[in-house]
Amino acid sequence: MAALKFAKTHEWIRLEDDGLATVGISAYAVEALTDLVFMQLPEVGRQVKAGESIGEIESVKAVSDFYAPVSGQVVAVNGVLPNELETLGKDPYGAGWLVKLRPSDTGELAPLLDTTAYDALVKSQPH
Amino acid sequence: MSGLVAWWDDPASGPENMAADEVLAAEAAATGRPLVRFYGWSEPTVSLGGFQRLAEARASAAIAGLPLVRRPSGGGAILHGGDLTYAAAVPRGHPWGGDPQSLYDAFHAALETVLRDFGVAATRHPGRPRDAGDEHRLLCFDRRARGDLIVASAAAGADGHKILGSAQRRLHAAVLQHGSLLLATPPTVPSPARHPGLLDLVVAASSWDLRELATAWLQEVAARAGGALEAGPDRFAGSRKRVVAERACRFRDEAWLERR
Repeated sequence: MAALKFAKTHEWIRLEDDGLATVGISAYAVEALTDLVFMQLPEVGRQVKAGESIGEIESVKAVSDFYAPVSGQVVAVNGVLPNELETLGKDPYGAGWLVKLRPSDTGELAPLLDTTAYDALVKSQPH
Repeated sequence: MSGLVAWWDDPASGPENMAADEVLAAEAAATGRPLVRFYGWSEPTVSLGGFQRLAEARASAAIAGLPLVRRPSGGGAILHGGDLTYAAAVPRGHPWGGDPQSLYDAFHAALETVLRDFGVAATRHPGRPRDAGDEHRLLCFDRRARGDLIVASAAAGADGHKILGSAQRRLHAAVLQHGSLLLATPPTVPSPARHPGLLDLVVAASSWDLRELATAWLQEVAARAGGALEAGPDRFAGSRKRVVAERACRFRDEAWLERR
């Protein structure tokens, strides 16, 4: 199992042994959104491009998009998550995964941030 | 250059107003500057939060018969017509583009300060606990979130009367914040949807020049952004009619209104 990589828009992605990529949103992003109330996930089978919005999350006062870190096809979504949004806060890198993609070009993972670079990005964010 | 560029726009329909606000967000992202516009509504209209259930709104006797539009932003339903509506947009790289509460507080704390200068003791609500179920209340002014501006009254209890609420749409390159300063609910609105506004709660407010109040508010916001208030040229929506009309189609589409 590969290490996590991060998009600047705060999604994480992990290339699994079966060639699929698991996508979620970072603990920093979950904490920044505070109380989550609703989530809309993409349809399985949808073709997405890197940087394209693939779903929305509503917190008490804000609606935010989340984006595909790489291009590919959505092959699974975490269907229980919209009814158990607290899982996102409890386990954002495990049970709080959002979608699984079949990447069309794994080379698109290369420019994404590793954990060290992402931590530096988070520290530079306006508060 | 920071500060704030502001426009006062003419009344328009719900779809046109939502479209103009999306254009405002796109321009904030493109110019790298915080922008704001105040605007009116061509008729009393209910704007729903981005994911509020349409069926719940349509079943509510409190807002029956009123035109509905769905905002891109979150939060609860607002009955427009007796309020001062604003849309503010900041680029994501702006100090207010990070933590959602920062932009919320920028506008709310600024009005709190200005109202104090006008002799009104408004305060920011600390927020109710999650189990209070605020997100299940249809109307924004029945909810209480951290930072909502309230005016205390014995009749309203600890939660006071909410006079200012805001909600956001956090886009890739900008944050769009919608807000509503409640002035006075139109008398034709059924009582469950009526909330006392600033003009109802503060006797002296009826003699105020509301444009002066709003200008002082934006000057305070601009100062907090580290700059000055700048009047935008012309009308915002009026000088961008074509792009606003194009975007308004989405907000007129039943599929958008029925998305949840």
